[in-house]
Amino acid sequence: MTDSLRTWARRYGALIRAGWMVDVQYRAAIVIWLILGVAQPAITLAVWWSVAGGGDVGGFGQADFARYFFAVMLIDQATLAWDVWYIDRWIREGELNFRLARPMNPLHEAIADNIAYKGKSVVLIALVWFLIAVFWPAVRLPFEPGRLGLAALATVLAAAIRFLTSYVNGLLAFWTTRATAIAELQWGISLFLAGRIAPLSLLPPAVASVAGVLWFPYMIAFPVEILTGTLTDTGAILRGFGWQLFWLAAWAVAYHFVWTRGRRRYGAVGG
Amino acid sequence: MEQSVGKIRRAFGVLRAFWAANLAEELEYRANFLASLFATMFWLGTAVLTAAVFFRQTATLGGWGFWEVVALLGVFNAVGGVVDAVLRPNVGRIVDLVRRGTLDLILSKPVDAQFHVSFRRLVVWRLSDVAFGLGLSGFALTRVDHAPGAGAIVAFLLTLGAAFAIVYALWLGLMSLAFWFVDVENLGILFDALYEAGRFPVSAYPAPIRFVLVYLLPIAWITTVPAAALTGRGGWTTALSAVFVAAASLVLTRLLWRAALRRYTSAGG
Repeated sequence: MTDSLRTWARRYGALIRAGWMVDVQYRAAIVIWLILGVAQPAITLAVWWSVAGGGDVGGFGQADFARYFFAVMLIDQATLAWDVWYIDRWIREGELNFRLARPMNPLHEAIADNIAYKGKSVVLIALVWFLIAVFWPAVRLPFEPGRLGLAALATVLAAAIRFLTSYVNGLLAFWTTRATAIAELQWGISLFLAGRIAPLSLLPPAVASVAGVLWFPYMIAFPVEILTGTLTDTGAILRGFGWQLFWLAAWAVAYHFVWTRGRRRYGAVGG
Repeated sequence: MEQSVGKIRRAFGVLRAFWAANLAEELEYRANFLASLFATMFWLGTAVLTAAVFFRQTATLGGWGFWEVVALLGVFNAVGGVVDAVLRPNVGRIVDLVRRGTLDLILSKPVDAQFHVSFRRLVVWRLSDVAFGLGLSGFALTRVDHAPGAGAIVAFLLTLGAAFAIVYALWLGLMSLAFWFVDVENLGILFDALYEAGRFPVSAYPAPIRFVLVYLLPIAWITTVPAAALTGRGGWTTALSAVFVAAASLVLTRLLWRAALRRYTSAGG
């Protein structure tokens, strides 16, 4: 048992190091992706800031919007999932072949890449947030270790859900050439249901309640609301974690199903 | 004079040959047409719903009513369609051409290299974004109580033409950076990040951001100004300023392109 644990620790160490090195090679490109990542929430914040200039909007003042969208930028980077683009290419161009030949599920390589990348981007965004907070009181968060711990836990679960949705979506490339188009549709829906355009409480109540039973808000809005202190009710927090665990399990089952079926269909390039 | 008329006629002839070849190629993939149409409708719907989320909480955004913002979103989509149909597949390739040194092949052709690099390809399906975007703007106008007169339409066409020129200049300027920073492969993403700001009238932003979008990064001239002309908000001064900004951008771009080419050391360099 401890032996296999040690083997896995060594494997992940090697994979994460490899992913880290590749990222360092492409650091300028990564900064550009980061800029795109923060652009949409930053612009949305700027407009809400103006709208809230005349007084509170649905219980949100200017500073509340600022904290909310800063948290969206951070959590979005922490849960970012690009895997659909990679896996789509692996399958279409046959790059999956050598990965299947390894004595390890390619899922682990993807997880390690995620850890390596987010280790950098999350620290960078948090650092920039901290520096801005020094000069701009609106984006300061009260320091409460308990809540930060809960937010971190919710963020890890959110990242796992979002990773699996993206990974499963990528595996659809076994059947269709439009896997990435499906991912873009998901992204469009998440603009509203994950809380990217506005906090869910500002959406029509019917939309917000539909969102509440889907996986979208548990990928961004839920950890954001814990982090900013919007969500303090113990019952609501527990329910949120319950939904996170439910959707994590559901997507894990979906992964298992798609991976076993898809591999049987896979003929590789020229196969 | 006669010589330059001949030059222009020749340029159009080359352009027709380029795009005819592309069209023949794209028609091989007709399923893409339906997918593209679906994507156009989906993103238009998303954009309008996004505006609706804001208008649940406020009656105006920067002084613009809901349907005026929708008219702006139509322009946003139309310009975005031109970017995807013409700029991204052409100007967006420059980074690659420089990195691999394949720009050599274009420089050795008897056509102006900037022209070739800018217009060689046409992703014809994305023009659905242009058609439906302008359609959406037209529909929005029927919901605005002050319908545009003939003057507003002329001002709109003028400022929209200026917007295309400015967006072209932005892309070429951005991509010319590739001559200095050869290892950055996703420069086009910077435009996408910037263009996000074009979804709203600039008056909806806090003053410092508005200043940046008007004077430093000319996003205001791409969506806000044509939409303002269409909804009768922009005066002729603004329209003429837009033409001036466009002309200045094109000249600057040409100068930058020449400076960039001087830096280019070709494949073996």
